[in-house]
Amino acid sequence: MIVARDAVARVVEVVPHPLPYFTLVLEVPDVYAEVTAGQFVMLETTGGLEPYLRRAFSVADVSKRGDVVVIELLAKVVGRGTRAMAELGRGTRRALLGPLGRGFDLPEAGPVALVAGGVGSAPLLLASRRLAARGVRFDFFYGGRSAADLPRRDDFARAAQAAGGRLVVATEDGSEGFRGRVTEALAAELDAGRAYRATYSCGPMPMLAALARLSAERGMPGEAALETEMGCGFGACLGCAVPHVSGRFALCCQDGPVFRLDEVRW
Amino acid sequence: MSAPALAVRLGALELPNPILTASGTFGYGLEFAHLSDLGRLGGIVTKGLSLEPLAGNPPPRVAETRGGMLNSIGLQNIGIERFLAEVLPRLERFPARVLVNLFGYEFDDYARLAERVDPYPGIAAVELNVSCPNVRKGGIEFGHDPEVLARLVASVRRATAKPIAVKLSPNSGAPVALAEAAREGGADILSAINTVLGMSIDPWTRRPRLRTNRGGLSGPAIRPIAVRIVFDVARQVGLPVIGIGGIETVDDVVEFLLAGASAVQVGTALFRDPRAAERLVDGLAARLGELGVASVGELVGAVRPWESPK
Repeated sequence: MIVARDAVARVVEVVPHPLPYFTLVLEVPDVYAEVTAGQFVMLETTGGLEPYLRRAFSVADVSKRGDVVVIELLAKVVGRGTRAMAELGRGTRRALLGPLGRGFDLPEAGPVALVAGGVGSAPLLLASRRLAARGVRFDFFYGGRSAADLPRRDDFARAAQAAGGRLVVATEDGSEGFRGRVTEALAAELDAGRAYRATYSCGPMPMLAALARLSAERGMPGEAALETEMGCGFGACLGCAVPHVSGRFALCCQDGPVFRLDEVRW
Repeated sequence: MSAPALAVRLGALELPNPILTASGTFGYGLEFAHLSDLGRLGGIVTKGLSLEPLAGNPPPRVAETRGGMLNSIGLQNIGIERFLAEVLPRLERFPARVLVNLFGYEFDDYARLAERVDPYPGIAAVELNVSCPNVRKGGIEFGHDPEVLARLVASVRRATAKPIAVKLSPNSGAPVALAEAAREGGADILSAINTVLGMSIDPWTRRPRLRTNRGGLSGPAIRPIAVRIVFDVARQVGLPVIGIGGIETVDDVVEFLLAGASAVQVGTALFRDPRAAERLVDGLAARLGELGVASVGELVGAVRPWESPK
């Protein structure tokens, strides 16, 4: 595991998918090459008073461009911080703390299902890369309110196909693919006789809670990357409490953000 | 001119410099060991510790506001015994002064905690949290009644020979009366201030952003409140003061010193920059030189307040 460090990242580019979804590409220290899928960073968005704190983002991808390591953060403009991020100019420097937290414990053998809700797909892109590199087959279940809420869907489709799997799209308005929730699309596949050794997921809490129920019903283990309000990202503020089956509160930033589906009190 | 002297003395507590980290913003110190040089700090104040471990409040526990954050952690902590057995020995490997922040639910908890930490030479002082807004019982009640506070501090005074700091609430309306009560009880130092009680509501869900509805506001948004209370308390009570509240820059530190603080604690700024306190140690030395003063002590209480208009 890499020890988190506080560094200055340089903006390489911002790629709209289109907005409000975008990918921020950052030049980072070499240690990020070893980042685990599901780990996150705390990024300084404005340096001003609002937002005052850094923002947590999963690492969506890591690669080398020439001699430098770059990471990609997949995000959606929802407030001042993310708007400022989407407007960052090439070469801008921003404080970046990471890599942080406990990532996915990805398997050596498939098939598995990756299950994403909207921009929660971010850590699962890196998971897709890692699984493909291991030759583990996976299907990618991608859900959103409508077809416009599936940023980088082509990247996910390609990654799944390269690993011998496929992309399954679910939209709540029926504008594309399965009409309904992504967990319902997964249940339908299971009902049709498809089997997965495990699921790896990220998305809104209600989606993950539904997946945890499905997982328990079908006896299919899984891990989910959680998103919570977060103050510091490294265990100091104790702000990111996650109700744990032990009865205590786990910390999303240190004990997670990836948890087994059966260890969270949903 | 030689380098300005950063060392400060608050009663019996001697510190290499006046920059400490505030309770609840620095974990138990170890969380920052790989991000900041603990030995360069004037001191570390631990997360509040109670006799028994505490699970804390349900989420959401934190919410950002303009220039600050609201929190309602609920004093989650590992308990004094685990701290002494597991954390303190590791913390002692770093050349940092450790102040333990203590809080109780019952009156007697404070003295029992003080008694428990008294034998440990690795603990430089105790800071009593009598003003946390996030637990219904306990701390906050002791911190809002001068008569109770005086008796509480006196009970701790009998339990330990270590310097005692009492952390004052800005929510009581009468910080000077409480500070005087703390002094009567035998406190050596006043820490001012704890968080300011606040609230934030999401317009879409109509839900308060904290699970407990209300919480404690910290960050630069509260700094002027803290400066005013430090100014009042330092002039009227006659005990050394540690200033706390939204400190980010070296000018913020100087502002608190001028208002009457002998040292400061950096808090919420550490969440956005884990090295914030360490940077201030460097920055302060430089700024003292620029201000033409030879020591921190020359600035303490050196504000030139206006006289009342005739």
